[in-house]
Amino acid sequence: MTTERGGHDEPVGARGPARRIAGHVVLGVLGLFCAFPIYWLYATSLRAPGDVFELSVLPWPLSTGNYTDALGKIDLAGMLLNTGIVAVLSAAGQLLVALLAAYAFAAWSFRFSRLLHLMFVGTWLVPFQVTMLPNYVLLSRLGLLETLAGVIIPTLCSAMGVLLLREHLKGFPKELLDAARMDGRSSWSTLWTVVVPALRPVLAALGILLAITAWNEYFWPAMVLQRSNAVVQLGLRSFLGTEGNEWGPLMATAGLTCLPVFVLYLVLQRHIVNAFVRSGLK
Amino acid sequence: MTGSFVEVPLPSRAGAVAAPAARRSVWSRVRRIAPPYLYLVPAVVLLVVWTYRPLTQTFYLSLHSWNLVPTSPMREAGFGNYVRLLTTPELGESVLRTFVVIAGMLPFTVLIPVVVGLLTRRVRGRAAAVYRALVFAPMLVAPVAGAAVWQWLLDPASGVVNRLLGTELNWINTTGTAQLVIIVITGWHLVGFATLVVSAGLAGINPDYAAAAQVDGASRGQIRRWVTLPLLSPTLAFLILMTVLLSAQWTFPLIDTLTQGGPVGSTTNVYYLLWEYGFRSHDAGLAAAAGVIFFLGFILLAALLAGLADRLSHHDD
Repeated sequence: MTTERGGHDEPVGARGPARRIAGHVVLGVLGLFCAFPIYWLYATSLRAPGDVFELSVLPWPLSTGNYTDALGKIDLAGMLLNTGIVAVLSAAGQLLVALLAAYAFAAWSFRFSRLLHLMFVGTWLVPFQVTMLPNYVLLSRLGLLETLAGVIIPTLCSAMGVLLLREHLKGFPKELLDAARMDGRSSWSTLWTVVVPALRPVLAALGILLAITAWNEYFWPAMVLQRSNAVVQLGLRSFLGTEGNEWGPLMATAGLTCLPVFVLYLVLQRHIVNAFVRSGLK
Repeated sequence: MTGSFVEVPLPSRAGAVAAPAARRSVWSRVRRIAPPYLYLVPAVVLLVVWTYRPLTQTFYLSLHSWNLVPTSPMREAGFGNYVRLLTTPELGESVLRTFVVIAGMLPFTVLIPVVVGLLTRRVRGRAAAVYRALVFAPMLVAPVAGAAVWQWLLDPASGVVNRLLGTELNWINTTGTAQLVIIVITGWHLVGFATLVVSAGLAGINPDYAAAAQVDGASRGQIRRWVTLPLLSPTLAFLILMTVLLSAQWTFPLIDTLTQGGPVGSTTNVYYLLWEYGFRSHDAGLAAAAGVIFFLGFILLAALLAGLADRLSHHDD
């Protein structure tokens, strides 16, 4: 929305306050459309159980009744813990695998570099749903169905992560790598003492992005954990779809499901937005 | 692992090399060439095991009939699955619905973001940061949580939408509106992200072009039509390609939690059909055949779009 040098496609003098107000109105409407459902989610969850059907914009009196109700119905704490484990391990694994691969592309020019790079790009064209049956069969042979390992392992190679880090490493000064080599350092120690420290902001942003994606992932856990509902996305599903939903506890569960992500977002807002937009552009 | 960072061609050693020296040179050659491949091993192994192996196996499965039970035999079926698939009316209908979803998503991923991006370039500072946070937030909401809150908003008896409109429509369980609901919720998830991508694209355009056109007496509308939009076209091509390739996948969690493909199949798109064949009817062959056809179809579509985008895009050289 902001540009460093906005409004250059209009003649001088046309930039009145009217156009600025129009900008605020348009953004305000869009912002309302985007944010209202989220606000309503938390507002409903904080109403007293008897007031859930109220239409007042501010929930008053506040009550945590819906939360205690939800916590009593399903093992929400256990699910949140499981989902946290999946998100952290999956993001850490993807980050490490992607870092090693991107380093290979950036630091050496080697014969099959182009072909291997294409292998990563090619994954964009292979939708999950096309590979799901053979992967499901393999997981069942390995005895990993209904386990968290079965959710984590197949996600460990993020082609997006490899390509994003490769783009960033392209701009890395070759002189630094050469200097490290002159010092007699191995490529392994160069990676950890020269490359990783310089790449820390990018790695942090990508790590958060991957963790959020893993936290919100639905399709794959739904397949692997068909019986156990061990992660929050699936636990939430077990509340849904039945006639006569209990909206209060449902909103409380949904609110808790999103809370860790929102907290991360509020703390690290700028980094996350940049990481998302950049990953989209590359 | 002490390889050099740039692979240098092996110096040619004309003829007279003794055998031990040759062995050593093979060893040192391996040591020089190996490092990048070693770093790539984990990623490539994972890619092969979880993406390319299953892809070929899907081709194999599509020629067999199997019910996914490990103990039951897999029988050869030739092209029987493909014939069965192509003769069911479900396939054509689901493809059509997929195109409806894609068309319905384009306003959210292209049209609104461009309009908003162009209109709001002069909003800056703290207000801009607040708007950005607001429009981006849905991207972070888990799809199932999004489904939950929208089901609450659209509840026939006590949902906010019906109470504000004074109606009692059952939006999610009516054939006429179910698809629309899926599209709007998916659009809600993505519109903020697309807007940010467009803003980033607009910010990357060199203002000198517009300034030059302005000196030449071009009006604001002319500059927007003939300078800004063409320079934005690579961004737009990216968004369109993303929408076409991923729309059907994005809708999956919503369909699975809200409508299960219904009512009367009105929200069953290609991926949901695939899922039903595989995990509802346990018809692995049919699901695999559908997977192969959709995979080839999407590749064709992607190639077409990429070619088109390349031809139409103006690059800022």
